[in-house]
Amino acid sequence: MKPLHLLSGIELREAFLMGAVKAVDIAAHFIKRIQLHNRSLGAFLSVLETRAILKAEALDKKRAQNKPLGKMAAIPIAVKDNMHVAGEITTCASHFLVHYKAPFDSTATALLEMEDAILIGKTNLDEFSMGSSNENSAFFLAHNPWNLKCVPGGSSGGSAAAVGARLAPIATGSDTGGSIRQPAGFCGVVGYKPTYGRVSRYGLVAFASSLDQIGPMSATVADTALTMEVIGKYCSHDGTSLDLPSETYPLSKRLEPDTVIGVPWRFLQRLKPEILANFMEAIEAMKSLGAKIVDIDLDLLKYSIAVYYILAPAEASTNLARFDGIRYGLRARNTKTLEEIYEFSRKRGFGQEVKKRIMLGTYVLSSGYQEAYYTKAQKVQTMILNAFEKAFTHCDAIMMPVSPSGAFEHGSIDDPVEMYLQDIFTIPANLAGLPAISIPSGFDKRHMPLSVQIIGPQLCDVSVMQYAYAYEQATKHTGVPPLYKEG
Amino acid sequence: MSFNDQTLEHLKKLCKIECSPEEDKSILERMSRILEYIAQLSEVDTEQVQPCRYVLQSMLKNQMRDDEVKDLLSRELFLTNASDQIGGMVRVPPVMKSQ
Repeated sequence: MKPLHLLSGIELREAFLMGAVKAVDIAAHFIKRIQLHNRSLGAFLSVLETRAILKAEALDKKRAQNKPLGKMAAIPIAVKDNMHVAGEITTCASHFLVHYKAPFDSTATALLEMEDAILIGKTNLDEFSMGSSNENSAFFLAHNPWNLKCVPGGSSGGSAAAVGARLAPIATGSDTGGSIRQPAGFCGVVGYKPTYGRVSRYGLVAFASSLDQIGPMSATVADTALTMEVIGKYCSHDGTSLDLPSETYPLSKRLEPDTVIGVPWRFLQRLKPEILANFMEAIEAMKSLGAKIVDIDLDLLKYSIAVYYILAPAEASTNLARFDGIRYGLRARNTKTLEEIYEFSRKRGFGQEVKKRIMLGTYVLSSGYQEAYYTKAQKVQTMILNAFEKAFTHCDAIMMPVSPSGAFEHGSIDDPVEMYLQDIFTIPANLAGLPAISIPSGFDKRHMPLSVQIIGPQLCDVSVMQYAYAYEQATKHTGVPPLYKEG
Repeated sequence: MSFNDQTLEHLKKLCKIECSPEEDKSILERMSRILEYIAQLSEVDTEQVQPCRYVLQSMLKNQMRDDEVKDLLSRELFLTNASDQIGGMVRVPPVMKSQ
């Protein structure tokens, strides 16, 4: 048998069910890998060692007694540290929440545990998910397993680095403007943002509620599909949870005949030659699977970033108003009045990017500017939604690169707008609530991973997963970073 | 519309956030840059367009639940995260000033 970390989640489960390996050995193997590599990688903020071992022991006992085992049996899962696991610390990579102990479970992690997954640790992120490089973590940087000088992307950078380095076969992320897909792309793994509302946001610390969506990250599409079967369920605790039966994800190496893929060529006209060449290869792969490629008009998407940087900060400024230093989280010392508690707790608790986005959000909502900024952005959002709807009358899915480049080096982007432009291809799916997946598509000249994105119409999560699986099986670009193959 | 020191001070009050002088400088610079960038939306003609309130129009419906009391979070558990408490309640500085 291959070393455990080179097995997919599904293969680990099979090995456990067949009796080839004990759950405690799986848990111990991955915990050891985290201890060995996390100092250099910075992927995990905490390791849930006791919880993982106890769960694994219980699973071994269950198996010995021939009791039924769940769909995720003995699969270690890393959890982005903005999702609650009851009794464990949720920091959101913020000084504000260093000691915050989650009093309840997020629905997604509870569903995973119910299906016998082993939650193994909480992963690093940009503070409150605000960033595209993981450089806004209040604690330490996370690094790209393909080159430690490079960023893993963000905001779910720790989850992407953890799966990329095979410190866990599967991780959860959250995606507000690309925070699952972009880091997955940078680290050479699969990342999936479901249709808005498909996965409950209950227990996810809110950033921009109308855009936030939880989703899986893993080395293979099949593991992502399995995770979606488990977490894609209606939940009465989330008012935007879709009240639909949960989906199963049948996967086939072939595409349905007559599959049509749309490509917004004009919107993509400024792609760097290297990215364009890689993207063209992906298009060729889809063609050889029998897909027809058509040109679609999505020029409006060039406004996505401007829309996003009005809507997301506006929602963030209201969501983060709850961090007042009174009921939970950091409370500044030596304060004499209530006002001082608010102002100084927020001064000490929040990092600069978070402060900036709260102020930007407050500004666009403030008296005299709401119509010009916030309402205007919502109107352009309607137009983007309509443009997608029209495009999907001509095609079954849309393909685009995930990012304008491969992973960049730490500290190399200082201009905020240049940083935001990293998300030009991922933000549109959030603005329109669409399911979108990023899948490895090869490497750039520096041997950093590149990825393509497949975006489907609302609610078509199953077909997006199917296209991604067919593409993955035809191309097999997924690899393990050389630094992390051993041990 | 320019974003200046005064706008920043006003915003800090609205947001109830204090900043260090270095943060002030950096935020001022970056906010101006971002506002300049998002101003491009003014070139889009939105005259006849309704603002988007919810993306999944096909799924739009009222989410009602039964009006029943549930004990979702006990007082004891809630207070484990409060930084200052007294007699089962969160303690804050006096809000009313004595004469």
